[in-house]
Amino acid sequence: MSVAVERKRMPRGLILQTYGALVALLILFIGNAIWQPDLFLQPENIRNLLNQNAAVGILAVGMTLVIISGGIDLSVGSMMALIAALALLTINKSMTGGGAESSAVGMGVLACIAAGIGLGFVNGLVITLGRIAPFIATLVGLVAFRSVALALAEGGEIRSASSNLFPAIGDGGIPLPFLEIAPNRPLVLTWNILLFIAIALLASFLLNRTRYGRHAIAVGANERAAIYSGINTNRVKVITYTLMGFCAAVAAIGESARMNAVSSAQLGLYYELDAIAAVVIGGTSMNGGRGRIWGTVVGVLILGIITNMLVVSGVSAYWQGFVKGVIILLAVLIQRGQSDR
Amino acid sequence: MLEVRGLTKVFPATRALDGLDLAFEKGEVHGVIGENGAGKSTLMKILSGIYEPTEGSVLLDGQEVRFRKPGDAMAKGIVMIHQELNLVDDLSVAENIFLGRERTAKGLLDRAAMREAAVELLKQVAAPFSPDTRLGDLSLAAKQLVEIAKAISYDARLIIMDEPTAVLSDRETSALFELIARLKERGVTVVYISHILSELTRVCDRITVMRDGRFVATLPKAEASPAWLARLMVGRELEDIYPPKTVPPAGDPVLTVKGLAVADWVEDVSLSLRKGEILGLAGLVGSGRTEAAEAIAGVRRRAAGTIERDGEVRRIRRVADGIRDRIAYVSEDRKGCGLVLAMDTEENITLANLRNYARPVIQRKRERAVVEDWVKQLNIRVGDVRSPVVNLSGGNQQKVAVAKWLDTKPEVLILDEPTRGIDVGSKQEIYALIHRLASEGLACLLISSEMQELIGLCHRIVVLREGRVMGELEGDEMTEEKIMYLAAGVEPEVAA
Repeated sequence: MSVAVERKRMPRGLILQTYGALVALLILFIGNAIWQPDLFLQPENIRNLLNQNAAVGILAVGMTLVIISGGIDLSVGSMMALIAALALLTINKSMTGGGAESSAVGMGVLACIAAGIGLGFVNGLVITLGRIAPFIATLVGLVAFRSVALALAEGGEIRSASSNLFPAIGDGGIPLPFLEIAPNRPLVLTWNILLFIAIALLASFLLNRTRYGRHAIAVGANERAAIYSGINTNRVKVITYTLMGFCAAVAAIGESARMNAVSSAQLGLYYELDAIAAVVIGGTSMNGGRGRIWGTVVGVLILGIITNMLVVSGVSAYWQGFVKGVIILLAVLIQRGQSDR
Repeated sequence: MLEVRGLTKVFPATRALDGLDLAFEKGEVHGVIGENGAGKSTLMKILSGIYEPTEGSVLLDGQEVRFRKPGDAMAKGIVMIHQELNLVDDLSVAENIFLGRERTAKGLLDRAAMREAAVELLKQVAAPFSPDTRLGDLSLAAKQLVEIAKAISYDARLIIMDEPTAVLSDRETSALFELIARLKERGVTVVYISHILSELTRVCDRITVMRDGRFVATLPKAEASPAWLARLMVGRELEDIYPPKTVPPAGDPVLTVKGLAVADWVEDVSLSLRKGEILGLAGLVGSGRTEAAEAIAGVRRRAAGTIERDGEVRRIRRVADGIRDRIAYVSEDRKGCGLVLAMDTEENITLANLRNYARPVIQRKRERAVVEDWVKQLNIRVGDVRSPVVNLSGGNQQKVAVAKWLDTKPEVLILDEPTRGIDVGSKQEIYALIHRLASEGLACLLISSEMQELIGLCHRIVVLREGRVMGELEGDEMTEEKIMYLAAGVEPEVAA
């Protein structure tokens, strides 16, 4: 028998597929550092970049799990608007009722997280027990959640009555004493960024080191084989959409706290698409069964830097979507080159 | 009519073909045989235009031809019928035959003309169904007829059939062989790839043996005995490929199935299995063998019946229940149900038993150690346990599937067609493994379409027909004739 025993070298296509996004990020990073040397590498600029993209990043991390398990979730952008509105209504009601700011904000945050987990769970049930394709089931959410958010806010904006604590979630954080942006003003690493990092690490851990993660990959790669292996595929899917709902809740708190308000028409709008784009750029297969969290984080940064570049160089906002579209197309083309064999 | 000279195909990791010379004559049935990795499928893919050779040439009627895509080969009348048929379930038979080259009149589909042509083609392959039938409603054997009809519609001069009988019952196989004989009379060359030696000697005029990407020998039918072919393929002497039988210890049954029924498939199946016993489950395709086994393991819903383990009735309603009760089912559909091809050897082996490694964090080191132990014990030839199992040969994939289920520490192991589509060497290893496991006390239920395999390995054989137990054979009663008699309900027409 002549079976090759020697360890095979990684074919070039696979290297490109695995590390292509990382290489692209490095090129963007170095390119920007050369192009705007005084600005780009400033710690504050990097911090702002991360801060602005944290919400999409948190969604994208959850979306990676969903897509690896063979699904898709279009509802999360609208879900963010709805549960953020719920959070602010809870805070405002509690404070007008004479409650302390701290307990009001605490209740608002809890309400948001509970609602996110609950809606994600419902998405999971509709998809598994209701046997509705994920695309359709979450398309329903995309339309319906936004509608409820608009109804709650009567189409406008809900302002938060919390004037200190809630906005502090948005712009507060951990000061980094070794990085001063002005004398005696240390750079603050915002909670949003820290949560993005924490959720990415947590998801990566779940995916690679737990039974749930292994099962999610198996369900996405070959659902029948997963069933034949005794895996409760419905449970795996419900857990996945519930985690996605939790991510949406964390993103919603951060996003509404940053503004200290919720615009029912604008909050989270198209975020689900940015999240999916980041996942795809990061090298996760849309067919499920294969993907990685760090790739998604890279994808988020690529999209963020490109948006940033477009803004700095004064490209009209109307054209920014076009450029993003081209980037996504390129990413998919590069990755397909190899799995096509 | 078709010849290859010095054909070489190099892949990054292997030399799949290494200077192969081979010629096919007009109107012959030419068998090609070799172990997995011998280069058969690479050769066929070059002939049908899927791959281009690295070196060497393909000559058609003495003239060199280059096929750059499957369409090129088809245009020259060389058509391949793949193991996984390339048909669309939701289209009709006629639509499938003309898929991609629909006939049109004035820019619109000419349905009448296509239907008429399809009727004629179906007649040529003696298909008993209408061209309007939805393909998905046909059996696998009937779908294969559609593929052959489609091949004929290309004015095929050479048809390559890759393991065509893997999915057929014995009766359907005989029908296919009759069709091959008719094709031959019309001057069509048939290249027939199979692992089943007795089949090759039955249907082929000449048989070519390949090994390690090279030509070994071409034998006329008269000189090709299964034993001699097996020896040429492996390149060494094969002792008796079945291990000697041992007497299972007497004792109470570990598994007792009573009155099992599964909607549409199984009417009434009862059987019992003792520790250390190998029980064969025979029957034609469609007899409910697989469905009964799946119901025992919890994959399929039971409509009626009870399953007892060690004399105790157990509630088995899903696979997890089966695993809990130490029943393991190794599926016949290795690629679709048995393995996650995109996952690596390690992840596949521990997939059904992950609970054992995750508390709750997966203990990677322990997982790796156990997997390496299985790889050594079952002699699984993997370059790297972290590379996807899709890269492994059929035999090694099967060993991974078996290892996966052995890792759940079963007391009852159900093996469904464990040697389908794998080479002789791996077969022999699987037989030895089953024998070893049984002598260590595992109760095995073996499902197989190869009667020789059942007779060679099993202590008893239960034969099913139309979802019912037709009889049980033991000792000297286990002959192909008796099995066929029970399975088909008639005296066997042909004994292989």
